Amino acid sequence: MNTLLLLLLSPLTQEAAPGVPWNARTVEHLYNRAAFGATPEEIARALAGTPEALVDALLAGFAEDERTFPYEVVHRPKPEDFPDQHDYFDACAERRRRERLVIADYAAWWVEAMVASHDPLREKMVVFWHNHLVSSAADVKSYVAMIRQNELFRREALGSFSRLLHAIVSDPAMMVYLDNDQNMVGNPNENLAREIMELFALGIGNYTEQDIKEGARALTGWKTDDIATEPRLLPKLHDTGEKTILGRKGNFDAGDLVDILLDQPACPRFIAFKLLRYFEGVEPEAARLAEYADFLKASDYEIAPFLRKLFLDPRFYREEIVGHRIAGPVEFVVGSARRLGASFPPKLLWLAASHTGQRLFEPPNVKGWEEGEAWIRTSTLLGRGNVAGVLLGITKPSEVIQEVRSDGLSLMDDSRVSGYVPEVAMTALAGRLGAKGEGELVERLAEQLLAVPLSGASRTVLVEFLAAERKRLGLEEAGLLGAGEKTEDLLRRLAHLILSLPEAQLN
Amino acid sequence: MDARIDRRTALAGLGALSGLSLFQSRANAAVRFRMTPRLDGSARTLILFQLSGGNDGIETVVPYEEDAYYRARATLTRKKDELLKLDDYRGLHPALKNLRTAWDAGRLAIVEGVGYPRPNRSHFESLDIWHTADPRGRAAGLGWIGKLCEAAWPAERNPNLVVHIGPNVPYSLHSQHHRPASFVDPEGYRWIGGERGAMAFRKVGEGPASMEERTPTLDFLRRVVAASQTSSDEIRRAVGAYETDVAYPDEVLAQTMHHVAALVSGGIGARVISVELGGFDTHADQRERHDELMAILDGALGPFLADLGRSEAGKAAVVLVFSEFGRRVAENGAIGTDHGVAGPMFVLGHDIKGGLHGKHPTFETLDDGDLVHTTDFRSVYAGVIEGCFAVPHQKVLGAEYPIVKVV
Repeated sequence: MNTLLLLLLSPLTQEAAPGVPWNARTVEHLYNRAAFGATPEEIARALAGTPEALVDALLAGFAEDERTFPYEVVHRPKPEDFPDQHDYFDACAERRRRERLVIADYAAWWVEAMVASHDPLREKMVVFWHNHLVSSAADVKSYVAMIRQNELFRREALGSFSRLLHAIVSDPAMMVYLDNDQNMVGNPNENLAREIMELFALGIGNYTEQDIKEGARALTGWKTDDIATEPRLLPKLHDTGEKTILGRKGNFDAGDLVDILLDQPACPRFIAFKLLRYFEGVEPEAARLAEYADFLKASDYEIAPFLRKLFLDPRFYREEIVGHRIAGPVEFVVGSARRLGASFPPKLLWLAASHTGQRLFEPPNVKGWEEGEAWIRTSTLLGRGNVAGVLLGITKPSEVIQEVRSDGLSLMDDSRVSGYVPEVAMTALAGRLGAKGEGELVERLAEQLLAVPLSGASRTVLVEFLAAERKRLGLEEAGLLGAGEKTEDLLRRLAHLILSLPEAQLN
Repeated sequence: MDARIDRRTALAGLGALSGLSLFQSRANAAVRFRMTPRLDGSARTLILFQLSGGNDGIETVVPYEEDAYYRARATLTRKKDELLKLDDYRGLHPALKNLRTAWDAGRLAIVEGVGYPRPNRSHFESLDIWHTADPRGRAAGLGWIGKLCEAAWPAERNPNLVVHIGPNVPYSLHSQHHRPASFVDPEGYRWIGGERGAMAFRKVGEGPASMEERTPTLDFLRRVVAASQTSSDEIRRAVGAYETDVAYPDEVLAQTMHHVAALVSGGIGARVISVELGGFDTHADQRERHDELMAILDGALGPFLADLGRSEAGKAAVVLVFSEFGRRVAENGAIGTDHGVAGPMFVLGHDIKGGLHGKHPTFETLDDGDLVHTTDFRSVYAGVIEGCFAVPHQKVLGAEYPIVKVV
């Protein structure tokens, strides 16, 4: 009955949220934020259904990802296995190259999942956790540990922050990254204790230096093996004395510390703040933050109900939010790849995001990447245009992206990257969009390639460019799409300009 | 004026506009830039050199006559004869050979025991305090360089007034009207898409959108598009034209300093250039890493100082080396050190007041295991602000501090 009624009334009275119309713009907004942008087909499909159905589908995932990422667990070379020391050094060098190659392959595998978008909200949340519970492959130096940490984020992406925080204190990659494997009774190392309070759970101002010192004692005794595969608690190295943490006294261990943190009122507030800012692009005002923090706490730190509430909240669709968020480099690259509608080597996409300031698996420091306007610098803005040019085949990857490090290994040596031949078919795409004339062609292509509407000022520049170039090629406006390679080349250059626009940085 | 610029300006048909390319002269931003008189060669350039992660100042300028130092650090301590002695109490880390030479030439000033009241041991909070010169950190608003620009060059709109080289622009450069330019590799610092595409891309940053479709975010993005073009043209020109007989090591930081030297003497109007060396958060196995970092630092600063001596602008440049905090006096259980408080600052240049400044912090009374600062970092900023830019430091720092006259 309900469904029938909705079908009959749709799309006239359908609403994304109370007072918010369910139309192409709101659907695209939801796809921009909860996924990596929408194709016109996805928008049409969503409009045929209800907002609740789309939100629930995003939370559940659209389809299973059938792929797996096979990797071998190989330990580091041991000096005693090499009679000749030079052979040992060679083995170590080889090992370092292997680390970089496997991480690159896994990062590419992850980016591929984002582009395929079978379960895009999960991928978006994995990026969020990667940038919240930060570790870097550059310091951990174990692909096994980094991949397993990423698998933890994948499992709990939409699960429970409580389980995540419990898991992260003994996560081997985190243990190495924040030196907690060096934290022993009598000789505490405060690194993890500090960051878990400051950056993972509470935020600054919600604990004292003394809490950090005592918290570090609770975290003592953890060790792992040479490639950080298994966490082990060595009772001898654990401080069993009484600790006072945030006003509570007891013989606390790592799990107790996490429970104490989760129990602080600052904790749900801190997590709600970061989630709201991530998805809305602006900082929440106090009353709204309090409402969402209470909700998160009441739902036992479960992420899925929190996001369901957010995506069906009319305030998520307010004017100052829609289309005003600056896309991160990964979002820019993956979104562009999806909107261009062709297949791209995932490793090239990962390198493109790296080049423009977001190298997955290597955040700059334990605070992660700073988002919003900080993504946009003179260098990264030019860089975004340049990587779009690479995807469109206007520039060779090696002209834009440098990847050589001191060991001489370049990740660009991969033939799928260096020998990249674009499969984009702009003429066919323009044909499908059914544009007639230069103005319409610019508008349709911009609609296809951008997450937000094209401004009049940008439209003027693009139409002038297209008209001048068409005349230079001696083509008639009516025959623009029928000039074979010349058309394709021209439309790619037009698409390159579109993806270099200020509008292209938004979602 | 050299022949190359003559040809370009002739091409542009705009008369003697030195240093402007054909394209630039058409961009609004560039025209505004041209209206500003070029600062003469004696104008100072400040180079901000950030050691990220919290440099262990105690192992950088080692108090080798301090028994407490040896007592607190069982494994990290240096033997006296390894050190590059400055006097009968202090010795530089053995890798700082070039800095030791600079010390003799009066080109290195060391300000000891630098910190601030109520020290914050978080990397990020402490960096924010250093970057804003305010205990409130980012809540206080602009970075201190942003405030310096407001005070010293309020009408200047040259996008290269403040330049950061490297991927992570520090908050000190945060500004409303003087946003920093940044690049990693000068060669790739441009929009690559053919000449006519590039012309169109330039127009994207020029055109003010109609009122009804303007938003703060789009305005911001348009300004960055415009700034990026002017910045890229000038920086690539300066780096491309730069010639030096000084050999820099083949190492990222050294190459970066090579580019800094090109910008200092290249007439791009940069008054502040910022660079960063990370990796100082040595909680574990500190010795090897810190040694390596000291060698990188010295290997980059040595040739750079020599290179600065080759031009008037270079001789007037001032390098300010700082870190967000020092490290705890006692080593931890992992042959490393945890976050501490006070540490030394370095000021380098050909026209500075070399030698010791400030007062060495005492090992007798520690604050919770940390050295207590003897000089507020804002006093050093004040010395740089007044010595380099002749601006009253209160206008930038918001309060009066005793000035450490390093410049």
